[in-house]
Amino acid sequence: MAAPVSTVGKPSAERLPLNTTSFQKKTRTKLISIPGTRPSVQNGQLLVSTGVTSLDYLLGGGLAVGTVLLVEEDRYDSYSRMILKYFLAEGVVCRHELFVASAQDNPDDILQELPAPILDDVAIHKPVEQPRLSCEPQDSLDAMKIAWRYQNLPKVQSALASSSRFGHYYDVSKTMEPEIRQAAKCHRFYLTEHPTQSPPTHSTMLESYSALLKSLQEVINSEGFDVAAPMSKSRNILRIGLPSLGSALWGDDLSCHDNPRNGHALATFFYGLRAMLRSSLAVAVVTVPSHLIQDRALMGNITRLCDNAIALESFKGSERETNPLYKDYHGLLHVRQVPHLNCLASKLPDHKDLAFKLKRKQFTIERFEDGL
Amino acid sequence: MTNVLRTSKEQCLLTNVALNVRDSASCSGRHLLKSFINAALNREEDVHVLGFEVSEEELKGSPVQRLHFHNAYSDPLGWTDKPTFTVHQFCMEELARLLKQTSHPKPATLVIDSLSWILRHVSPPAVCATLHQLRKGGAVRAIVALLHGDMHQRGTVGSVCHLASSVITVAPGMKGGDAVAKITKRSKSGKVVQDEDIFTINNDLTVVIQSKHSQVGHKQADPEEQEMDPTAHLTFNLRLSNKEREAKEKLALPFVFSKEKKTALLHSSPGSGRILYEPDANDDYDQEDPDDDLDV
Repeated sequence: MAAPVSTVGKPSAERLPLNTTSFQKKTRTKLISIPGTRPSVQNGQLLVSTGVTSLDYLLGGGLAVGTVLLVEEDRYDSYSRMILKYFLAEGVVCRHELFVASAQDNPDDILQELPAPILDDVAIHKPVEQPRLSCEPQDSLDAMKIAWRYQNLPKVQSALASSSRFGHYYDVSKTMEPEIRQAAKCHRFYLTEHPTQSPPTHSTMLESYSALLKSLQEVINSEGFDVAAPMSKSRNILRIGLPSLGSALWGDDLSCHDNPRNGHALATFFYGLRAMLRSSLAVAVVTVPSHLIQDRALMGNITRLCDNAIALESFKGSERETNPLYKDYHGLLHVRQVPHLNCLASKLPDHKDLAFKLKRKQFTIERFEDGL
Repeated sequence: MTNVLRTSKEQCLLTNVALNVRDSASCSGRHLLKSFINAALNREEDVHVLGFEVSEEELKGSPVQRLHFHNAYSDPLGWTDKPTFTVHQFCMEELARLLKQTSHPKPATLVIDSLSWILRHVSPPAVCATLHQLRKGGAVRAIVALLHGDMHQRGTVGSVCHLASSVITVAPGMKGGDAVAKITKRSKSGKVVQDEDIFTINNDLTVVIQSKHSQVGHKQADPEEQEMDPTAHLTFNLRLSNKEREAKEKLALPFVFSKEKKTALLHSSPGSGRILYEPDANDDYDQEDPDDDLDV
């Protein structure tokens, strides 16, 4: 693919973001086209990427807008937190808006730890400098000896990403630069800043969860994520990240007692959350410390109330860590629930034994080959 | 090679963390707690002890200046008229007031003996909230708490240990005076390090590590994977010697342009891609309009 000589010297900020050609597919006017989303090939739902391309594939192409992904945490909450960070980082790169609510860590701290995207031809908001042109010609010409005409072209990602750049790759060893992060609008909810009064006696939901739902509702209504809002202004997606929901810091004793007093508070919250999301352009990823929840029936309830549910089981600390069968992986991934959206039956994943591995540039989920 | 138990003792008390010592009926963790207090005192730190389970004389023989023992042993539930410290005072406001009473410039270390006692009378979410606020508040440099793991439901123990940045689980060792400590340290970046040590505690409350049973956990992000060298085991030679490489680089390629021409072509201004055409003798290039004779 030879680029015409006249465009080689142009700064890449003038190119269309996320597209390599100027051809636009003629779509029906009913489908809203929002950057960072694409319609599903199976049922036409609008999908967003979770930030992890293997997880997108597992969920049938991506997360449908208006659904909830439940991630059951591993024992030390390392990999589930990583998935949440990937999700939020993908939102920053796709220029979606973010909403982070936390009881333990300050949402600002979580946002500062997002992984850096590996950007090759993704245009970012600020004009990209021309390092090759501004430095001495000596360096640029020595870069390629034979194909020197192609030097100034961006390197094309040779990996599995589709041509419309639906999913991106991130480098876990670096954190996202502040300029990129601050360009994304982020709403925060830190539980310690919302003092909770004693809850009314006949409420099935805890004060903390009600406050969170109210705050979410306000953001959705005021920022125009409601589907019923007028279509005049450009639409965007709200990405909601809720780490460690249901832990003791939210005031919930679901993870502390075998027979919790507020057993249904978290389930009621999920019910309300899903109802709110169905009528808005938002996606939520929630992590729950399910290893602390002893009542499996309640956990089953919560799983059914979410559209997608996966569980992570890390090998660290268990006897499987030294098992040679598992040495290539960091843990197992179980798919607990797949979504039924506008259909009777859903597509189950082909393989039930899945294992994950967190590498520096990729979070891979593979079929676990046990060599039998 | 530093021993992890000693470094964890030093590190956790140097940085703002929460440490849980988890013991059971078969092996008490109080001696380890006493050695932590001793180490903190030797480092000239202020130590506040909330003593619910043992009295002051039993915990620390003679009173020491920087050790502030809050007597919750004699009347923890406030049954008499003048209780010194009750279990219901385990909340952020009361503890902050207590810690402000000492006039030491550096933030103090808080030792809780034991958290199990508090968990029996205060709900676990409230205890977790108080511990979390203490940690974030900055009034306390480090929190060391003793927890009896077999006294509570699994979820409670799990929730409290989930909040701590380091957990040391003590269990009886093989020999008489030994104990085995399993240490789990969680750093802020999400890295988890696990270790197992066999230790004894001397009479002067110093910890002696007998042997190191290290099972260091995996780091979370792998370094770049080792690539197999494909040219390693071939029957023909794919590598170049230095002389051959020099000769290869000296070879002039057929369409190599000079550096000036390359830069001129690469950094050309827009609009310089013009087509210069010189009509040949065979070309039928008429100056007049060629379609003039068409009668349309």
